[in-house]
Amino acid sequence: MQRRMTSILFIFLFIIPGLAFAQTLVDKVQEHHLDNGATVLLVERHDSPTVAAYISFRVGAVNETSNERGVAHLLEHMLFKGTKTLGTKNYAAEKPLLQQIKTVGQQIDVLKNQAVTDPQKLQQLRDQLKALQKKHRKLVVKNEFSKIYGENGGVGYNAYTGKDSTTYLINLPANKLELWAAIESDRLENAIFREFYTERDVVHEERRRSYESSPDGLMYETLLATAYEVHPYRNPVIGWNSDIDNLDPDEIRDFFDKYYTPVNMVITLVGDFDSQSTLQMVDRYFGRLAPGIQVPPVLDREPEQKGERRAYIDFDAEQQLMIAYHKPTMPQRADYVFDILMQVLCEGRTSRLYKSLVVEKQLVTDVNVFGAPGSRYDNLMILSMTPRFSCSCTNIEDAVYLELERLKSEPLTLAELDTARKQIMTSILRGLKGNSGLARMLSSYQTLGDWRYLVDYEKQLNSITAQDVMDVAKRYLQADNRTVVTLRRGEQS
Amino acid sequence: MRYFIYLSIAFLLFGCGHGLFNQQVRPDNLNFPPLEFKFPEVSQLQMDNGLKLYLKEDHELPLVELTLLVEGGSIHDPLDKTGFSQFFARTLSTGGTEELSPAELETELEAMAAILTVSSSTYGYEINLSLNQQDLERGIEILADLLRRPRFDPARMELVRTQMLENIHRKNDDPGSIAGRLLSGAVYPGHPFGAEPTAAMVASFTREDLLELHQRYFQPQNFWLAVSGDVRQAELVSLLDQQLGDWHSTESMIRELPSLPAAAAGKILLVDKDIPQTTVLMGHLGISKDNPDVLALQVANYILGGGGFNSRMMREVRSDRGLAYSVYSYFQVGRQLPGMYIVGSETKSQSTVEVVTLLQQLIQQIRAEPVSAAELDLAKKSLINSFVFAFADSHSVVNRKVRLDYYGYPKDYLETYRQKVAAVTIADVQRVARQYLHPDKLQIVLIGNSHQYADEIKTLGLPVENIDLQSIQ
Repeated sequence: MQRRMTSILFIFLFIIPGLAFAQTLVDKVQEHHLDNGATVLLVERHDSPTVAAYISFRVGAVNETSNERGVAHLLEHMLFKGTKTLGTKNYAAEKPLLQQIKTVGQQIDVLKNQAVTDPQKLQQLRDQLKALQKKHRKLVVKNEFSKIYGENGGVGYNAYTGKDSTTYLINLPANKLELWAAIESDRLENAIFREFYTERDVVHEERRRSYESSPDGLMYETLLATAYEVHPYRNPVIGWNSDIDNLDPDEIRDFFDKYYTPVNMVITLVGDFDSQSTLQMVDRYFGRLAPGIQVPPVLDREPEQKGERRAYIDFDAEQQLMIAYHKPTMPQRADYVFDILMQVLCEGRTSRLYKSLVVEKQLVTDVNVFGAPGSRYDNLMILSMTPRFSCSCTNIEDAVYLELERLKSEPLTLAELDTARKQIMTSILRGLKGNSGLARMLSSYQTLGDWRYLVDYEKQLNSITAQDVMDVAKRYLQADNRTVVTLRRGEQS
Repeated sequence: MRYFIYLSIAFLLFGCGHGLFNQQVRPDNLNFPPLEFKFPEVSQLQMDNGLKLYLKEDHELPLVELTLLVEGGSIHDPLDKTGFSQFFARTLSTGGTEELSPAELETELEAMAAILTVSSSTYGYEINLSLNQQDLERGIEILADLLRRPRFDPARMELVRTQMLENIHRKNDDPGSIAGRLLSGAVYPGHPFGAEPTAAMVASFTREDLLELHQRYFQPQNFWLAVSGDVRQAELVSLLDQQLGDWHSTESMIRELPSLPAAAAGKILLVDKDIPQTTVLMGHLGISKDNPDVLALQVANYILGGGGFNSRMMREVRSDRGLAYSVYSYFQVGRQLPGMYIVGSETKSQSTVEVVTLLQQLIQQIRAEPVSAAELDLAKKSLINSFVFAFADSHSVVNRKVRLDYYGYPKDYLETYRQKVAAVTIADVQRVARQYLHPDKLQIVLIGNSHQYADEIKTLGLPVENIDLQSIQ
């Protein structure tokens, strides 16, 4: 069984399958809408007696306000804690205890933030909280969702919170699909947030592990916070430390009640089932949920960047380098152009940056490109490099910028364009293998807009010309639109 | 919007009425139809030159996947040439063929959107080729050219050398990889499993060594080829025959494996690194697949630390105390020689000793006390009912079949797996826990801000070895 994780580096494939497959998708995917607004995507596949079940919500960290950063992610953790009937020996007995725990916890949070605090009082409250938690633990049936899924053969029980969306997934033997519907609908209707303050500590450990002790995590977090000044894409999904310290159970409940509701929900099932009876079953369990309210769009707009931004991190590791440019997101035409541009620039051993930086100049041992941190709002093209020990980041930057200049001045050859298109389409095909791969892809695109983006994608890609790539490179790959982050051991020299 | 509100009211009414008459059914009280499951069939053939072919046709997507397993691997690296098998694998994949220069090979593969990778593992080399269906013929031609006539282009070989030296330079960046390296070294001193390449070794690898290794291991009788995807058996066999049929083996492989060191007494390996969280990794010598208790141990470990949120470690360390995000244990079941038993977690500096102590206690506990019937039942059901996922993807089906045969698993391994798991008893769990878990032999690696817990560590009563990362550069 995999550990639950937050995929902050979760990167949407911006890309889709071949024309033949586009037609297959149209034929295979059934889209339904329940009366309460929930979207249901079904794909029958009978090769193996298994089903991949995804539930995604069109809400993520980008929808948090500045005093609730980290809410979506901690909520994801809390949604594994049970319902009124699961995860408890006796909910009626638990209820007053949960209320007391919350009251004491909230008192602690108020007190600990005061400039002048009575340490004795604080300690007394902390002891009180500990005693209450101990008492409460006796009423808890630990991780019961996980237990029930486990004994029924579920694998990959997991969830991830991204900038734009949140997803809960499980793979089950095909005969257990109703189990999924029963558990997941119960969790949406009757979730109880047990062990809140302990879980907040777990999230702190998660943050230490993924960011504060990891050079990659630290680089990425710093890059986003530097490249964005206004848009909430600048904030880590997990929240900053002081955010996590002050996350509140009522805040979480409020966020959950508003947004984790049918109007924002996409259910995707891929596998060995009969669509008609499965749809009825889904309707029976999920159709009873109240529609909820739609997640409001984020109104913050990142102002145009007016000059290069640089950040340096002193961390106990060898040097690393990231370079990012702001770019438009899907389904704007420039985003398709970036798909081609990034492929030619950096995917594979014949790509321009790999050839130039790794093979010829031997400045770095590896170079990667990806789009991040989300896809609902304008995002970034990020280049990430592993410099050789003896090379300075300045030389590497110069070599990168030289290649970017070439994109502006010389059109791509037809062969380059063809290879890029074929590679992108084939990588999508590979991503569709397995029920879980297909479910993930459909769920992602439907949550961002419409899964049919995939159907139309190759046509769009084929319409991109060498001139489009030059235009986009000139427009966006400018020093003024750039953010550079470096990391190494010691103070900046 | 109006539409939604209208419906919501209708539904709430319906929902309430419904609820009055129907109690919420607990999901585990639902009845399920039986699962229909057949073992997927894999075609098996052997060519005259000894190449073993396993095929699972799957025509859903126009893709073909080929995985070639070649006998050999890092277990055969001499101790003064640790890392050589990796050097070989990387140079093979990037060094071109007699016919195609490295750049020509890469350009042609990428124009087909094919992906070619070569890797080295403990007991073999693995070559993966992923192709669009229409490129199958040319793909196999290129693969054969690479297998039979690799160029090991000197400039590309130097590039691989540089990259390996850079990796050595970078080996102390990430706490998890430092911990893994130190643990292997402590459990397998003087053995290839515990060895790591040094810059001097990497500098000494030559092209002659590469050619020699290629000649020794790359022979059709050492080839195990797994193929899945949009391909017909007759066509595939004919293509392979054209490209590889006239290649005959000259020498038979003798598999002599270096014997293992004796288990060392438990100790702490303490590494100072300026990070706010300690990486805890502990382990000792474990078992191989030939051990008759392997499935009983899987059940025991599910309960102890392998069952994710259903394990005791997760419950005690994470869920009850909030001391870690990740905590787990597992047996690396060695294919031939015994692998390790490994326990891992990460926790803030201040709770380092608390977590180590808890993990030690949990291991002691499963040895000392019988597990509950409910725990046993959950572990067994989970292993048995998730078995069907071993067959969810056609390439993993055919690959698994290759591996079972290559490593000499019993013929009925898959067929009897569920029965054998079902037969495990509470007494078995305790017996194997006592026999194979050795808290006194644990090598405990701690990477973090060590001055914060250096004193407290003394309470563990174990010898402490301080390791300076600078000195192991």
